[in-house]
Amino acid sequence: MDYFADSFLAALRLIFQFDPKVYQIVWISLRISLTATVCAALLAVPAGVWSASTEFTGKRLLRQSLNSLMAMPTVMIGLIFYGLFSRRGPLGDFGLLYTPAAVIIGEAVLVFPLVMNLAMTAVESADPRLLPTLRSLGASRVQQFGLVLSETRLSLLVAVAAGFGRAIGEVGTAMMLGGNIQGLTRTMTTAIALETNKGEFELGLALGMMLLLVAFSVNWLLRPVERSAG
Amino acid sequence: MKRAYWLDQVAFAYADRPALAIDHLAIHAGKVTALIGPNGAGKSTLLNLFAFLICPDAGEMYFFGQPVRGEDILALRRRVGLVAQNPYLIKGSVIDNVELGLKLRGIGKEQRRRSAMDALERVGLGGFGERPVSALSGGEKQRVALARALASEPDVLLFDEPFTYLDQGGVHLVEQAISNYARKSGKTVVFSTHERLQGAALADESISLFAGRVVGAPLINLFRGTLRDGVFDTGKLAIQVPRALDQGSYLAVDPEEIVLSPNPLNSSLRNSFPGRIIMIAEEAGRARITIDIGEKLHARITLESLQNLGLGLGKNVWVSFKATAVKVF
Repeated sequence: MDYFADSFLAALRLIFQFDPKVYQIVWISLRISLTATVCAALLAVPAGVWSASTEFTGKRLLRQSLNSLMAMPTVMIGLIFYGLFSRRGPLGDFGLLYTPAAVIIGEAVLVFPLVMNLAMTAVESADPRLLPTLRSLGASRVQQFGLVLSETRLSLLVAVAAGFGRAIGEVGTAMMLGGNIQGLTRTMTTAIALETNKGEFELGLALGMMLLLVAFSVNWLLRPVERSAG
Repeated sequence: MKRAYWLDQVAFAYADRPALAIDHLAIHAGKVTALIGPNGAGKSTLLNLFAFLICPDAGEMYFFGQPVRGEDILALRRRVGLVAQNPYLIKGSVIDNVELGLKLRGIGKEQRRRSAMDALERVGLGGFGERPVSALSGGEKQRVALARALASEPDVLLFDEPFTYLDQGGVHLVEQAISNYARKSGKTVVFSTHERLQGAALADESISLFAGRVVGAPLINLFRGTLRDGVFDTGKLAIQVPRALDQGSYLAVDPEEIVLSPNPLNSSLRNSFPGRIIMIAEEAGRARITIDIGEKLHARITLESLQNLGLGLGKNVWVSFKATAVKVF
C-alpha cells in the first residue's frame, strides 16, 4: 500500500511542480492527437455530411464498412503503416517511421471512420424538414451542403471530439509508428505503457492523471453542446 | 387566362402508396387559389409538386407555359416560395431566416436587409428582427416563414394550411398578406386548407381534393358508401343519384342545392328525408343549418328564408334535393 500511496504523492508532485518531462510528453500528445483529429475531420466531416444528405447506391455498404473500420484494433493500423513506412516498405523512402508525422497519419486513419460515421448520424438525425426547407428556399447543392453543415455544427463538433478522444487515448498506433522517442514521439499513452516497465511508476501515474484530465475536460466542455444538439 | 401551373395526367406515389392522380388541373396566374380537402387528400403533396420539391412519376407539368424539366429545377424553385404547415427555421435570429432566401440568390447585404425588414412588416412582425427563433410561438414561427418566402418576391406563393397555428389576430394578418400579395403585386397564391369556409372566403378560385384526385364537388356533406342501380347507400341513408353514374365510393351533396320545408314537398326532387335541426350558424352572410336525417347534413340558405320558414333548433323539417345535386367519385 505504501508503494502505491508514495507513488501517488510523487506523481502529484510531478504534476504540481510542473515537471518539464511530464509536460513535454503531455504537449507532444496533445499536438499529435489534435493534428491527427483535425486532419481526419477536414475530410471525414464533409464526407459524412455529403453522404448523409445524398442518395446513392452503395450507401448501406459504406455504412457497414465504416462500422467495421471503427472496430479496427489500433495496433493493426500501427502494423499496416509500419509495413508501409519501414525502410523496405513502399513508402520507406520518405523516412517517416518513428516520426510524429507517422503517428499523425496513423491516428488520422484510425479516427476517420469514427468521425465520418458520427457525422453521418448527426445529419441523418437532424430535423427531416431541414433539407426540403433549404431546397424550397432555392439553395443549390453546394449551398445546401454548407447550410446543413452549419445547422448540425454542434452534433458535428461532438463527432470530432469523439475522434480526438480516441486518438489521445490509443496506444497501439503511437507505439508502433512513433517508437516512444523522448521529446519527439513519446506520448502519454506510450510513456505509460513503456516507462512504467522501466521502474518509472510515478511518471506513469502522473501521465495517467493528466490523460484522464484531458479526457474529462473534453467531455465537460462538450456537455452544454451535447445538450443543445440533443 | 394565363396559367401559372398546368398539370396533365399527373400521378405521384410515395413508395407504392399513390398520393396524387390528377387528370387536368390549372392554377391561374395572378389569382388566389385554395386547395380544399380533408387531411390526407394530397394537398401537401400537390404543394410540394408546385414547389418543385418532388417530380411527378407520370404526366406533364407546365409552369407559366413552359414544361418543367429536371435541369431547370434550381431556377424554378427560386421562382416559388413555400410556407410549410409546420415550418423549419434555421438556428439564429428572425432576420437570419428572412434574409436566407435572398442570401442564397446572391443578393447584396443592404438590399437583403431592406427586403427582409419590409417582409417582416408585411406579416406584422416589424420589431422582431433580432429575436432568436427559439423564443417564438408557433404562430410567430409561421409568420416568420411567410416573411421568409415573401422576401424574395416569388412569382408563386405556396402556403400549406396557413391558419393552423394562428390566433385570431394572426389569421387576419396572414389573410391580409396573402390577398395583398396577389392583388397588389399581381402574383399567384395557392394555399391549402381543410376548412372550406376560410378557403372560399379568401380565394378567387377553389379546388377540392379528395384521395389524391381533383373532385368537382365542394366536399361538404361527404359520405362513404356503395353505389348500386342509381342508389348510393351510406349504411344509414339511401340517396338517389343519376342513373348514368356507375362507380364511386364517396358522395357529396352541394349544400346550396338543398331545399328545406316544414312539410314533404310534392315535387320532382327525388331525394326527400325527414329530419331535425340540430344547429344553426351564420356563415358569410348566409345561414348554415345542420339537420340530422340519420346522417348529419349541412344546408345553406339565405337569412331571409331562415326567417320565412320559421326554422328553429329542435324543429322537424323536410330535406329535399335533386339526384343531380350530388357528386359521386
